[in-house]
Amino acid sequence: MSSYKTIPVAERRRLKEKKYKKHNLANILTHWFNVGCWLLLLPTGISIISSPYLNITPIWWQDAFRDFFGGTANVITFHYTIGFIWIFVLVFNILVGFRKYFVPFAVNRMLLDKDDIRWLLIKPLQMFGLRKGETLPPQDAYNAGQKLYMYVVILGTLGIMISGPIMVFKKYFPPIVKQIAQPVHWVSVFAIVAGILIHVYMGAIFPEEKEAFFSMFSGKVSAWYARAHHEKWYWEKVREEMDWEQQVKEQVEAESSREPEPAPAKSGD
Amino acid sequence: MADKKRYGFVIDVSRCIDCRACMVACSVENNVPYDHTRIWVHDQGIQGSIPDLSRTFFPYNCMHCDNPPCIQVCVSGATYKDPDTGLVLVDQNACIGCGFCVEACAYDARYMDESRGVVDKCNGCIQRVQVGLKPACVATCLGGARLFGDLNDPQSDVSVALKNADTVVRLDLEYNATDTDPNIYYINAPREVKELVTTDAFHQMGESVPRAPRYTLSEEGWKKLLIPLVAAGIGGAFLIQAAYFTKQLIEGEKEIDE
Repeated sequence: MSSYKTIPVAERRRLKEKKYKKHNLANILTHWFNVGCWLLLLPTGISIISSPYLNITPIWWQDAFRDFFGGTANVITFHYTIGFIWIFVLVFNILVGFRKYFVPFAVNRMLLDKDDIRWLLIKPLQMFGLRKGETLPPQDAYNAGQKLYMYVVILGTLGIMISGPIMVFKKYFPPIVKQIAQPVHWVSVFAIVAGILIHVYMGAIFPEEKEAFFSMFSGKVSAWYARAHHEKWYWEKVREEMDWEQQVKEQVEAESSREPEPAPAKSGD
Repeated sequence: MADKKRYGFVIDVSRCIDCRACMVACSVENNVPYDHTRIWVHDQGIQGSIPDLSRTFFPYNCMHCDNPPCIQVCVSGATYKDPDTGLVLVDQNACIGCGFCVEACAYDARYMDESRGVVDKCNGCIQRVQVGLKPACVATCLGGARLFGDLNDPQSDVSVALKNADTVVRLDLEYNATDTDPNIYYINAPREVKELVTTDAFHQMGESVPRAPRYTLSEEGWKKLLIPLVAAGIGGAFLIQAAYFTKQLIEGEKEIDE
């Protein structure tokens, strides 16, 4: 398959006009719900960590949230209340859409293949200016970096969802479990946050990926974007389209080759 | 000067007879579970040789330190030093009962209340002090060994007792970066006291206080391994993002060919 860079102007224009659906509504809504919860949970969560021994959060940040909510216990209550809503909605969405969305997503979009491994070997070096000449292998609907980050997010989310309630239902867990839950909660959050920095930049600011940002509202990307960044997925879409065209053609033929029915009798009935 | 209070205890060990009424009064006042106590009485044993013998008892509870190691480790901010009274208090709604502070306390003055899943300790009977009463242990002390009051106020019971004392001992711990500066003053001890060797059932036998603060494995791993790792991860991600963003700003954006 030749590089997208050799595609002539007219074809480029056609591809830019054409849209493919990348995200379904369930994904879009869950994504933005998740964003909203993170925006509430991350600042409050950071403000709770107060140990001078660990020295993580600046005092002014702690004080700002404590003063705003009226005390440490209130910040914690707010944090875990939003947290439980977050857990409930995410788990609910995954369970409700398990067969329809989650399993196809996991099977079609998450598994790493040979091209992905090669991408992971080349791309980080290219970011530091090495191996510039090599072309990156074609990518699925998500590239290998996105796939890798997806695993971090899933593991981190599980870590947060398990360690959080342990600290809330303190009565039912021995101290040692609660001691471990704290760093697990923290490191899960910040493993995700490290990726979020890249995720937000790539998704919302990086010029080549502008379409990705708007696709998180409309669910659609242009064929040109798909061809340039997610080639394997693009050909998959083209194949789907051709299958559909074929199907329609057969249908039309079958329909028109049927015996033309005689005109219904007007009288007598 | 006068508005900042620094509540503390002064304990006249020459008057303590190890009756442990303070322990009972405290437990009743504060609903302390049967298998725990907020006050301990240390028996120094018989000291000296005939005919110069002595036996002293050191009752103690939370020292309400000026620099408490427990506050250093509290992750949720549940343990705090009350700026109005100088007492070290636990907000049990914020406490998650992880026990970092129980390990860190140089005086073993904290315990885990398993039934509620939170840490508990002496709160200076702040509920009584706020309405003008003395703490339960002080009010009940038969020999008048226990005194409680504002150490910043020169007219208070404790300040007067300190001024008139023969000897004053404080179980201060100075160890590495830790200097606890406790607010329990032991007065009129017949002999020199450096530390208390524990002999009662609530402690590990033979352990003495003050002891060096202990830090649990999860806490140490968090501080020494996870924080540098995460800092490197976040820093790296930020730098990559910043480099691309700078490049983008320098090169400018092409409208058509994104």
